Amino acid sequence: MFSYYLKIAWISILRHWGLSLLMICAIGLGIGAAMTTVTVNYLMSANPIPHKSEQLYYVQLDSWDVNDPFDEGKNPPDQMTYTDATNLWKAKKAFRQSVNAQTYAVIEPNDPDLLPIIADGRANTADFFAMFDVPFIYGGGWTEQADINKELVVVINKETNDKVFGGKDSVGETLKIDGDMFKVVGVINTWEPKPRFYDVTTGAFNKSADIFVPFSLIAEEKVRRSGNTNCWKPSGDGLAAFLAGECVWTQLWVELKTEQDKQEYLTFLNAYVEEQKQYGRFLRPLDNRLSNVMQWLENQEVVADDAKMMMAMSFMFLVVCLLNTVGLLLAKFLGKAPEIGLRQALGASKTTLFSQYMIESACIGLAGGILGLILAYLGLKGVESLYGDTMQGLATLDVSMTALAIILSLVSTILAGLYPTWRACNIQPAQQLKSQ
Amino acid sequence: MLIMKDISKIFQTGDIQTHALRDFNLTVNEGDFISVTGPSGSGKTTFLNIAGLLETYTHGEFLLDGEDVGKLNDNGRSRMRNEKIGFIFQGFNLIPDLNLFDNVDVPLRYRGFNAKQRKLRIEENLERVGLASRMKHLPSQLSGGQQQRVAIARALATSPRFLLADEPTGNLDSEMANGVMSLLEEINQQGTTIVMVTHDALLAERATRTIQVKDGRVSELEILAQQAIA
Repeated sequence: MFSYYLKIAWISILRHWGLSLLMICAIGLGIGAAMTTVTVNYLMSANPIPHKSEQLYYVQLDSWDVNDPFDEGKNPPDQMTYTDATNLWKAKKAFRQSVNAQTYAVIEPNDPDLLPIIADGRANTADFFAMFDVPFIYGGGWTEQADINKELVVVINKETNDKVFGGKDSVGETLKIDGDMFKVVGVINTWEPKPRFYDVTTGAFNKSADIFVPFSLIAEEKVRRSGNTNCWKPSGDGLAAFLAGECVWTQLWVELKTEQDKQEYLTFLNAYVEEQKQYGRFLRPLDNRLSNVMQWLENQEVVADDAKMMMAMSFMFLVVCLLNTVGLLLAKFLGKAPEIGLRQALGASKTTLFSQYMIESACIGLAGGILGLILAYLGLKGVESLYGDTMQGLATLDVSMTALAIILSLVSTILAGLYPTWRACNIQPAQQLKSQ
Repeated sequence: MLIMKDISKIFQTGDIQTHALRDFNLTVNEGDFISVTGPSGSGKTTFLNIAGLLETYTHGEFLLDGEDVGKLNDNGRSRMRNEKIGFIFQGFNLIPDLNLFDNVDVPLRYRGFNAKQRKLRIEENLERVGLASRMKHLPSQLSGGQQQRVAIARALATSPRFLLADEPTGNLDSEMANGVMSLLEEINQQGTTIVMVTHDALLAERATRTIQVKDGRVSELEILAQQAIA
């Protein structure tokens, strides 16, 4: 009977093409608007490293001014001082730990025909690659010894490897960065976690780095740091004074396997701060925090409030579109009252008729869903062109979003069709047959 | 085959009750061709709707082919309509969007016949009413008489034992009406029981038995006749 219902639905949709088109447009517009905002929210709030996001913790210490708390006392500083980051890194109390900060550099390719490249860089410690499951094509990360020895080693991304080395296995090659010769130890595959959780302070949806170098090279002035820097008291002149000062500009991530490990690490952090207090630092009350990946993204409000508001409004718009569809379906089905009466006389039960008209509703929903997908695609392109780089990679419809759009349109239309179908199935056949 | 005992039908509109049928008694035997006549508003159509299970009754007992209709739920009534009853209406009631083949196909779909059986039955019955060559036409492309023939083919497609016709010639000119009546007579001679509501006295006389309905009851004369038959 299913194929028969489909055939009847198709004939009915064609016969009342104007009404059908209106319904498809109403559903399509509603789904298109809802899916555009849902997709942006979904990608903004996606878990960028689902298999271990519960084991990776961002570390915060409240080293701020006692008289002028950071973020009005609601949160400790969102980054860490160089002193604390390096102390905690050296303590090695976690399973893995990585200090990192944003850098930038000029690469001078070995090929004299190629122009210098300004690269976005990241200065990090060795565990970074293993902690965040960075995928390598060639080679791997550097060793902890390279961090300690301040070796001039570099990991480059695929794009840089393609540009500078023509895509070949460049491990062991040298690369001139800011005037120094660095040895390539690894080439990573395309790696663009969305959100870019490991450093949301410089843009949660920015591109990942082109090159990765040891964090210890910052102190050696072999690479130049960039990114956000906040200080609550003057640090004095020169890099050494800056590094020893109370400016926050580094991020410390630790990998802790169990809840017990987390508690132990927190105890360690508190002990560390208590110890630092003896040196006249950390004048504020203890407020050390460990946030896992999703907690950290939530804390940093990676999904903006206006994006949530837009999503709520788009769903309200979908409801309005569906209410219109209810009206149109009601008009259509009640217009078919004589046919419904006749079908009852010829042996159709209410259940049979209900199935038939629900399938017709679902067909309209499916068509509306497809139109909605097209509109959502256009909507996302619009969002991308409006917001530029900030939305790069956020404005794409993946398989799950496509499936969600179709399911949402089918479910919505079936819900919208329930009342009209129920009304249609309760038509008294005798009255309809006589009135024809 | 059809037994109605003390059937009454009351329509309630606000506080007003309208008795469409009261103490309606009728027995229809297998092979009968009964014409039902009576003035407008006498209850003929209500009787036909109840007989066709399109409407429920308020009181009484109604047995169709031995089954107590009052005990059937919606699905049971639908099944019985589909299996045992064929309908012919004054307004033909064909589905305008479907061609003749698909119109005749409707009750066969609900009966659950397979594609081969359906095709055979559709062709056979359209052949029977002389419209086999036009099965891909839409109803709007046919004359009134031809449309009624399609409706008869549709009614016969499921091989019902019982054919209910409500003014089947009401919308036709006399020549077409005569053709349709001849077809009904032929169908009755082949064993199908027919109950036909009509205003036309001449057509009514062509039935093997005539009953008159007045004020929602079978008239006195008919009661006497039924007693004589018994």
